[in-house]
Amino acid sequence: MSQGIHHTEVDGIPTLFAYATGPMRAGLVFRVGVADETLAGAGITHLVEHLALHRQGLADYHFNGATKAAFTHFHVEGAEHEIVAYLDGVCTSLLDLPMERLETEKEILRTEEARREPGQLPLWRYGAQGYGLVSYPEWGVRGLRPDDVRDWAGTWFTRDNAVLWIAGERLPAGLSLKLPAGQRRPMPAVTSALPTAPAYFSDGKGGVLLDAVVTDTTAARLYAGVLERELSRSLRQEGGYSYTAASDYTSRRDGFATVTAFADALPAKQDAVLGGFVDVLAGLQVGRIAQADLEAVRGRSDATLTAPDAAVRRLPGAAEELLAHRPPRGLEELRAELWAMTPQHVHAVALEAAGTALLQAPSGHRADWAGYTAAPTTSSYAVTGKRFEAVRKDEPAMVVGGEGVSLTAGGEAATVLYSACAALLSWPDGGRRLIGTDGLSVEVEPGEYGIDAHTMATIDAAVHPSAVVQLPPRQQRQQRQSEGAASAGRTAGSAGAVRQKTSARRTGGQTALLVIFGVLAGLWSLLALSYTVFGASDPETSTGEWAALTVFLWAVGALLAWPAVRVVRSTRRG
Amino acid sequence: MRCLGLVFPQPPHTWAETASNPPLTIRSMSSDASLPPPDFELASAFPEVGWLRQATAARDWAGIRRYADGLPQGTDRAFLVRVVAEVPGVEHFLRELVAAAPDDVLALTTLGTREIEIGWEIRSSARAEHVSREQFRQLHEHLRQAERLLIRATALDPSHDAAWAARLTTAMGLQLGQNEARRRYDRLAAYHPHHLTGQARLLQQLCPKWSGSWEAAHGFARECLLNSPEGSLSGGLVAEAHLERWLDLPSTGSERTDYLRRPHVHAELVEAAERSVLHPYYRPAYGWVTIQGVFAALFSLIGDTARAAAHFRALGNLASEYPWSYLGKPADAYAKHRSAALGRG
Repeated sequence: MSQGIHHTEVDGIPTLFAYATGPMRAGLVFRVGVADETLAGAGITHLVEHLALHRQGLADYHFNGATKAAFTHFHVEGAEHEIVAYLDGVCTSLLDLPMERLETEKEILRTEEARREPGQLPLWRYGAQGYGLVSYPEWGVRGLRPDDVRDWAGTWFTRDNAVLWIAGERLPAGLSLKLPAGQRRPMPAVTSALPTAPAYFSDGKGGVLLDAVVTDTTAARLYAGVLERELSRSLRQEGGYSYTAASDYTSRRDGFATVTAFADALPAKQDAVLGGFVDVLAGLQVGRIAQADLEAVRGRSDATLTAPDAAVRRLPGAAEELLAHRPPRGLEELRAELWAMTPQHVHAVALEAAGTALLQAPSGHRADWAGYTAAPTTSSYAVTGKRFEAVRKDEPAMVVGGEGVSLTAGGEAATVLYSACAALLSWPDGGRRLIGTDGLSVEVEPGEYGIDAHTMATIDAAVHPSAVVQLPPRQQRQQRQSEGAASAGRTAGSAGAVRQKTSARRTGGQTALLVIFGVLAGLWSLLALSYTVFGASDPETSTGEWAALTVFLWAVGALLAWPAVRVVRSTRRG
Repeated sequence: MRCLGLVFPQPPHTWAETASNPPLTIRSMSSDASLPPPDFELASAFPEVGWLRQATAARDWAGIRRYADGLPQGTDRAFLVRVVAEVPGVEHFLRELVAAAPDDVLALTTLGTREIEIGWEIRSSARAEHVSREQFRQLHEHLRQAERLLIRATALDPSHDAAWAARLTTAMGLQLGQNEARRRYDRLAAYHPHHLTGQARLLQQLCPKWSGSWEAAHGFARECLLNSPEGSLSGGLVAEAHLERWLDLPSTGSERTDYLRRPHVHAELVEAAERSVLHPYYRPAYGWVTIQGVFAALFSLIGDTARAAAHFRALGNLASEYPWSYLGKPADAYAKHRSAALGRG
């Protein structure tokens, strides 16, 4: 038993208790999260969480729910009887979810999603599965039926897959947690979409972002703190390139943790922020760890461990650890470890982090010069099968084969195998997007490739029905593309790059060109038309002359129209 | 001769090349036997260069280190690094050194500088349109290798001037951006506020040929002039900026001459010369042959032979590829303008 945190059991559910005065706090934590879902079923845990909380209605005590990568939390703060009522309500709802609310809660989730800006790092690191799913929209929600949701709740939200924590003066009287029996679920499998590290990709305008997976230790927590101080000093105080420089440390509870670092940048200063960021990391990697920084971070950590509510604050994390079969550690043990740390320990973490780092550079910036390998945006091979050329010039060709689909251009390919298809997005207009478990995706627009209905049907049939996501009618392709770019950055493989080029926004100059040549061509055509109609009746010209001049006039008209046609074809309205 | 070998679009020949291929100056000099031919040999201006080359050939790294560590505070160590890095084949020796002592900052910096040299030799000094895609690919690969060594060097010792100076070259060649170049210069200047090699490289970056602007280039040069102590070589950057701009104008017609004859250009050159190489506090330092040469060349081009003569006299017969490679065949250009300035020939 760890100091300050006492283990007990309520209705067969392991329970962690810490003494605290003031309002009582409690949380029910399940070992289930987004990483347990599939891409085509993404959002089901979140939906269960919402449904389970619906009956709490507008209670005036504070409560909430949170669906994370591998854990789902139900949290409450209030008087003893309110805690009892809340937990009872959550368990009752989990046993019998209010399915009459299903469609409404789906709608609420969609609204919530519109405000969510998921980071891209997980999908590049883990792919379109497991921990990578937090980067994707909740594509599964729309198609979920009551039975799917009930099954999910019955499988994951069980007595044996839960831990309760309570902070108060005593265990509340009358506490009852009626949950079905089940089994403790293992931690989600850790998948990888990164063949080599350190790696980088380019996306977004916001700044520089980096994460690294390191062994979950006290030294690693200190490393994250030291990194933040160095970034802040170098990029904000010294250089003035960034306003915000921050880091985060999140234990995955499987023995590893993710260190994330971020520095924002003005558009004009992105190159300097990237350069400064690289240098800060390099400094830590060669062991330049300022003792003063270490002491500052250590002091802050120690204050957290010695605060009166230290045990209480640790309860949600301790519950996660217990669910992951990792016995929570005592505060004194953690403090002793904290004070034993030296710059050498932090240096070792910096080296470990360097070996797993994934860096997101701003769009248009590379990081290969700093030793980061470009994360894959293409597949190592293309499938063989029926080849379709794009209707538009300079677009990659599509190959639809027996094992998958590929887009190929200039010796490069983006391939999704049916057997490794995480989701097939399907629009009523016939458009499809296949997303592979490695995060690469291929868009199949039958109209743009002249793909026959039979071939499209073979694609639909080849993908497992559980991976198919039926989406509502889309308004415009362009809109969907930008939505895709935001939600699944890796779409921008070879295909995406070419496509972006052809649908570039029209510039002011191009618009002017369009108008000028359009008007000229129009006026000239009037002239050509009038000559064509009336010139033949002119007694002074022979029919041969008339024909020659007519052809000439129309040819000039066509030449005048050509620049305008080019602009229209190669751009879209801004 | 300053380490300005990497003026990328039209890099001047490096002195190492001239050392092995002595410039042919006989033809123009034959008109005036009283003046010796220009001497482009770096060791003539700086005798320690000969020793450094010998020590490099003898793989006497301990000796080179001792020499580098013993240089007075404020010495431009990019000079010494460049001398060692220009020795053909030195990369083998340096790679062994770095493998054995991965924290040796001087070795990392020298090897990084050598990688830049190798990349540049592959690229050749031809104009960009005559350089093949494969040549560029290899150049960039060497620059990336250099950059990784130099990142480590500046991480280990953020005050190492030669490492930052080399990173200004990699930033330019890898096109990392204007702000990144400026950040690197600021890191250098934090410890070495008047570092001539660093200033000259940033000036190149700030020119339009590297996506900069004349406003930025002249502004920075003026900043160098005003912020440096009187008598320091940094004032010469004002002249280099004008020389770069002159070169950028069409060589046909009178635009080049018209530019240099603008009154403010002449006035700025006079001010810069008086504040630097003509100032009573002036003492020759690494780079002085180049700076005196730039003033001599510009005053000659303007037709102010009296002022040009002062700089030629200070040079004796010493010369560096930059600026003279901008004016034609370096030795011929030097001899021609010197004769005109000194009233002989």
